Amino acid sequence: MSANTESNPEMLAGVFQQEEAPEGRLKVSFGPQHPGSGHMRIILTVNGDIVEDAVPDVGYVHRGVEKMCEYKNYIQNIPHIERPAIHDSSGTIFPYILAVERLLDMTEKVPERAQYIRVIMAELNRMINHFYFFGILGIFMGHTTPITWGMGDRDYLIDVAASATGARVTFSYFVPGGVRTDLPYGFEDKLLKTCDYLESRIPAYKAYLEENPFARMRLTGVGVIKRSDAVALGLAGPTLRGSGVKSDVRKDEPYSLYDTLEFNIPTREEGDAMARMMVHFEEVKESLSIVRQAAKKLRPGPVKVPLRGQIRGKVGEAYARTEGARGMNSYYIISDGQIHPYRVRVNTGDSRNLAAMRPVLIGGKVADVPVAHWSLDYWPVASDR
Amino acid sequence: MKTSEFLKGLAVSVWTGTVHLFRHRMTSMYPETQNYPNTEMYAYDPKKGVAVSGWRGRHYLDMSKCTGCQLCFIACENIAEAIEMIPVPEAAHAQNKKSIYPGVDYGRCVFCGFCVDACPFYALYMTPVAEISEMNRNDLYYSPVELSVPPVPNPAPKVHVNFDKKRGSHDER
Repeated sequence: MSANTESNPEMLAGVFQQEEAPEGRLKVSFGPQHPGSGHMRIILTVNGDIVEDAVPDVGYVHRGVEKMCEYKNYIQNIPHIERPAIHDSSGTIFPYILAVERLLDMTEKVPERAQYIRVIMAELNRMINHFYFFGILGIFMGHTTPITWGMGDRDYLIDVAASATGARVTFSYFVPGGVRTDLPYGFEDKLLKTCDYLESRIPAYKAYLEENPFARMRLTGVGVIKRSDAVALGLAGPTLRGSGVKSDVRKDEPYSLYDTLEFNIPTREEGDAMARMMVHFEEVKESLSIVRQAAKKLRPGPVKVPLRGQIRGKVGEAYARTEGARGMNSYYIISDGQIHPYRVRVNTGDSRNLAAMRPVLIGGKVADVPVAHWSLDYWPVASDR
Repeated sequence: MKTSEFLKGLAVSVWTGTVHLFRHRMTSMYPETQNYPNTEMYAYDPKKGVAVSGWRGRHYLDMSKCTGCQLCFIACENIAEAIEMIPVPEAAHAQNKKSIYPGVDYGRCVFCGFCVDACPFYALYMTPVAEISEMNRNDLYYSPVELSVPPVPNPAPKVHVNFDKKRGSHDER
């Protein structure tokens, strides 16, 4: 301990060092270097095997995306906004693009083909995120098979998305006015074949994660969130739907031609890790159906309204929200007529799911911490922004 | 959980894993074969305002078309700060009076491709070659002359994923 921190106990980082553990208890720092905690720390107070207190200590990967938005112009913001959420780069950039289009008064002018391509890419990203979810959930339970399957099957989706966008993870594909490129030759064929293949893989995942008695023991009854608690804590995405709340921005406030497609919102009543995993399963099935419908509705036509020169938003404000893979993502942009926004407020579903972390972990076992933590769909990088 | 349920679930999951052992698998043996989903160049058509789909890898600079207008430099300014305008006096092209051309630092480039979208003269492209690894950090900097040489694609055969309903995924050359 240096002399500086000794004289100023307030300067000690985090809550961990400040308070001694109560008599007979042990304080355990779960993270930030733990491969499972993912750039965050949970300070656990344990009594034997029971977690008595869990304080999430976040902010390790804060990079100031909102402040950076204020001195970059509307196009230059695209690459850095989508970097925090690498598994859901389309879902993260989608509401930003919609908000910028509202500032430019061109929401109606975006071509139909571009809107369907956006839907396809957003759903591909949702599936990419969900297969990653299955993989990590499996490895947190101690099963190695799901992570190899999840990562492998996720790569086929990445291949499809990359053939159109030209990058594997951070696509930078949506721009104000449409999408950057038209789909390459043979894209639809590749897309539908991949969808058929993934549909044939779903029973295997079901056998491994739902019917497998060992997975069921580890998931059932872990991290229970009641319906009333889920609403009170303001959760979002599959975590909220796993507690029985039927809420989805794609249905509640349809954007970008989602109202022309037919799909269901899967919900589960139990509210435990198993229910949240099953919601992810059902969402993959729904996404496959949405992608197929959207691919059927693609008609030849322009994919972009070309914007010449620097984009300047009108003086005013715009708000847009979409359903990302991990919950509702929303952007609130204030413009003062300059080439860069005056203020950008980013709200991701991840940061809202963090609210459930403490109530979920308290009272559980230490071995259940990784499973409960991951099943909440909390991604520290997107949450810290 | 009942014992019968437990045994049934166990049998189903073990059977699924065992069947998977005998499925045809798609493993890309990377240095010998390559799996590039898109082997085209990423190019931008400033007249139409739409880009042509392609892999966003190393740049290719057409020095006979570059006018030194610095628009790619301005586009990169707040994204990665990777592009720098370099004077190349020995390159005598009539359209580039100041003889300045973009050089790219691949230690900084994020491969977003907005520099290509900014070029109004069809001078900047992105090629499917993305294997830029050097032993020395300074070697990641590519001068305009280096960028104007078309990159040599890896001679390894390109593998594409093909799906079969019964056998699953397999590679197709």
